[in-house]
Amino acid sequence: MAVTPRTVEELTRAAAPRSQAIGAVLDFIRQRPLGALGGAIILAMAVVAATAGLLAPFDPLETDYAAMLAAPDASHWLGTDAYGRDVLSRIIYGSRTALMVGLGASFIGATLGAVIGVGSAYFGGRIDLVVSRVMDVFFAFPVIILALAVVAILGTGLGNVILAIATPMVPRCARVVRSSALSIRELPYVDAARAAGFGHRRIILRHMLPNVMAPLLIMATAFLGEAILLEASLSFLGLGVQEPIAAWGLMLRGAAVEFAETAPWMAIFPGLAISLGVFGFNLFGDSLRDALDPKLRTQ
Amino acid sequence: MAYYILKRLLAMIPTLLGVAVLIFVLLRVVPGDVVEARYLAQGSQFQSQDLMDQERKKLGLDQPLWKQFTTWMAGLARLDFGLSMWTGAPITEEIKLRFALSLQLAIMASTIATLLAIPLGILAAVKQDSWVDYAVRVFSIAGLAMPSFWLGILMILTMLIFFKWLPPMVFTPLWVDPWENLAQLIWPALAVGYRYSAVGTRMMRSAMLEVLREDYIRTARAKGLWLKLILSRHALKNAILPVLTIISLEFAFLLGGLVVTEQVFNLNGLGMLFVEGISRRDYTLVQALVMLVATAFLCVNFLVDIAYAWLDPRIRYR
Repeated sequence: MAVTPRTVEELTRAAAPRSQAIGAVLDFIRQRPLGALGGAIILAMAVVAATAGLLAPFDPLETDYAAMLAAPDASHWLGTDAYGRDVLSRIIYGSRTALMVGLGASFIGATLGAVIGVGSAYFGGRIDLVVSRVMDVFFAFPVIILALAVVAILGTGLGNVILAIATPMVPRCARVVRSSALSIRELPYVDAARAAGFGHRRIILRHMLPNVMAPLLIMATAFLGEAILLEASLSFLGLGVQEPIAAWGLMLRGAAVEFAETAPWMAIFPGLAISLGVFGFNLFGDSLRDALDPKLRTQ
Repeated sequence: MAYYILKRLLAMIPTLLGVAVLIFVLLRVVPGDVVEARYLAQGSQFQSQDLMDQERKKLGLDQPLWKQFTTWMAGLARLDFGLSMWTGAPITEEIKLRFALSLQLAIMASTIATLLAIPLGILAAVKQDSWVDYAVRVFSIAGLAMPSFWLGILMILTMLIFFKWLPPMVFTPLWVDPWENLAQLIWPALAVGYRYSAVGTRMMRSAMLEVLREDYIRTARAKGLWLKLILSRHALKNAILPVLTIISLEFAFLLGGLVVTEQVFNLNGLGMLFVEGISRRDYTLVQALVMLVATAFLCVNFLVDIAYAWLDPRIRYR
């Protein structure tokens, strides 16, 4: 079948969404250079994590006892650790752990928090009161202590760490979502949905949840960076991700502090990686909040 | 006002009770108990069941849970925290020394955070969208991004490599030798204070931006007042409240939440005690610590609310 020549309108119509998207991205870069920088860092981190196998010069788990604590040189760009493992390769693979924990914990925490928050606002009355009281109890715990308690119960390891980090996020997310859902509950379309005879689940999930997405998204982005930090802290204490998995916080533990004077690269570079990653998420999150929340719009 | 204060104080009780129930249950869900932990620590895993049961009986662990809980509550009501399950010493004694350290560190870190946050936040707001604003924002976001324990490692490393000097590793109370005390605590206080200043700086900036748009500021400007006077007399007073709130709320968590920083600087504070307590399954100690931190948090919360009601006539207390 011959290819039908397209009209100009058809072509522009097809191209429009794409050029619009590009335009939006360009606008974002122009108006919020800091946010764009953050986005670029996140993107770079995602690419590094996805192509870790190609980028890393060494196997991150491979020990080389001939090159223990080797200073940075042409083959080991960032030196090696106490087991002779290549620091650069471990940092590259560590971005996978960081992203997995960050995204996993934020997703679980935000989802649970949103459902609890919207549900609490929707049902109101006694349910709302009880949920709010329980949230107050959780707020009285420092974040790291709550996470440590969950790790003590579930044990260490990647999956448990994600759950431990998501736990303190749930009440915080629920509180923010609840307050915006409270105002939505009074809007006519929720009444209309109720009048139409829809069930609670449908109204909560289909009608209310989509309208609290903006604050939820802001919370989740802000929490991404914090989750990466928290994972680093837990791993640093030996209560997070376990050896020999490559994780940034874990790389700062033990030998990195012991040999800090003779092999400072072990302590410096993983910390830089953590800071840069979290910095990217925070910059991006900040700009996203400015862009999405008209009340905080400064321009 | 008196009624409001009383109502707020009474409202703390159910929350504290909730905290008590939560930590009590959480600890019992953690696998193992203090008796097992002690035998494991001694390296003998094959203790006779009888001995372990005797040990549990002595600690009251053989009692039904509701009874353990009510005993604990009855003690708390008399402000009696009981004995540590691990050392057998009164918990008040165990906590006392570490509390002095953690409190001092929290005060120093909050002071540093406040001193950084207020001027930087004002500067960023006044010079909004200029390079000064961007520099301040990058500085504060970087503070949030750097793990304070890594900042601590870098500090120690710098002092070691460039000055061949290390801060003292043993805690000296302030009243014994203030110089030695400050030489040790100023570094963790800086590392933590910088991080917490970031939150305050951002809050100060946005609060200031909001206030600067108010009509009365425009009036003051139209009157021809100096910018300096407008800022200090009119704007700061209104913008500073949320900043002080956020820094004081963090303060309560600094008491017990500096687990990792304490580890890096080898400080024997409440955070380390908490981690030790959990790994030893020292129920009574962990419970007491959690109640302490939660009470501190609720009290600060309460004080902030009272201060608000007192400072801001628009807030009605009912």
